[in-house]
Amino acid sequence: MTSILPPGSMLSQHLLLSIAEQIKLPLIQISRQAEFGTLGLETDLAQIKTLADNGIKLVESYAMGLQLANQNSYELAPEAVSVASILYEADQQLRELARLYNVSLELNIRGRFEPVLAHRQGLQAAVVGLASALIEALPAQNSGQQTTLQLATHRCRYGIVAGVYADIPNLSSEALKRGRKLYGVSRQPLVNVSHNSAAGIFVADAIFRAMNLKLHISRHHRLYGLGVVLQTSSQLALV
Amino acid sequence: MATLKKILIIEPDKVLGQTLSSALKSNGYKVVHVATAQDGVTQADQTTPDLVILELQLVGHSGIEFLCEFRSYRDWANVPVIIYSSVPPLEFGASQDSLRGELGVVAYLYKASTSLLELLRTIEDNLSMRRELKVDAAT
Repeated sequence: MTSILPPGSMLSQHLLLSIAEQIKLPLIQISRQAEFGTLGLETDLAQIKTLADNGIKLVESYAMGLQLANQNSYELAPEAVSVASILYEADQQLRELARLYNVSLELNIRGRFEPVLAHRQGLQAAVVGLASALIEALPAQNSGQQTTLQLATHRCRYGIVAGVYADIPNLSSEALKRGRKLYGVSRQPLVNVSHNSAAGIFVADAIFRAMNLKLHISRHHRLYGLGVVLQTSSQLALV
Repeated sequence: MATLKKILIIEPDKVLGQTLSSALKSNGYKVVHVATAQDGVTQADQTTPDLVILELQLVGHSGIEFLCEFRSYRDWANVPVIIYSSVPPLEFGASQDSLRGELGVVAYLYKASTSLLELLRTIEDNLSMRRELKVDAAT
């Protein structure tokens, strides 16, 4: 059967389904927290704000992914971007969410690397999406223990890596490959990593693809995680 | 003095788990919250809960796997289990019967449309029903 859908729309449908599943979580969290007042308990407004902000970021990332893929309103003009500044900004945006989930968020930007060529907002949205998905997923893997998520950068043979890392041995290339096949179809495409649709990871994956980048399983020291290799500009390196 | 009823919550989302725990504690229950099926079995062994609240979507082993394991022990055969899940019950179709039958699920509550108040009522109803059954059995 010939599809009448434009190319890439199936991908968008899968992403949309994944987002719809994912966005239910902050809405349920907010609804239950808001209900506290009717039960005579104190409603935590700061928590509600953090959860709402997290939901908004996810929807905005999805919209950005689509717009980048369609190149309608965003010009894919790369600019010189400091990976350290992207990770620093992501750290600032995610502090409150990490605190809610009892995840210790660390920033490892000690290496002094040259700027990379990238679409700044796209890179920022993808890193935040990845990290927030892992912040939600980490406590679901072991009850009670505090976990650490590291936003880190390092140099590899092919360029500069920007990534998010934690102690997640189940996060393998095979799991990611299987997850890519299953997302939009299965409720839990990354069943050994996340208890939900892990939409943040797949939205980041779509944003990277729209920028001609590829999300990889990556290692940083002893931690496992997800990262993207960014090309430095030889022109910029001379400066 | 009446002992507090113990409720085991198996909920992978930390924030939601804490919200449920607080609501139940404020209603006079003793609560243990875990995130995984494995920890659920361990805690059930240590705390002998009077009721279990279970999400089906967990990391690794699913809620269904937990239920099968849980029901395989005679001591836990009659402990009421309430499913409180983000999976719509309609997706189970005819399998819902085996959840209620073989696996002894007393209620299936869909997270998106179930308020805390409804959850609390369902818990109270099932615990009081269990109390009545115990009294009947004793007399």
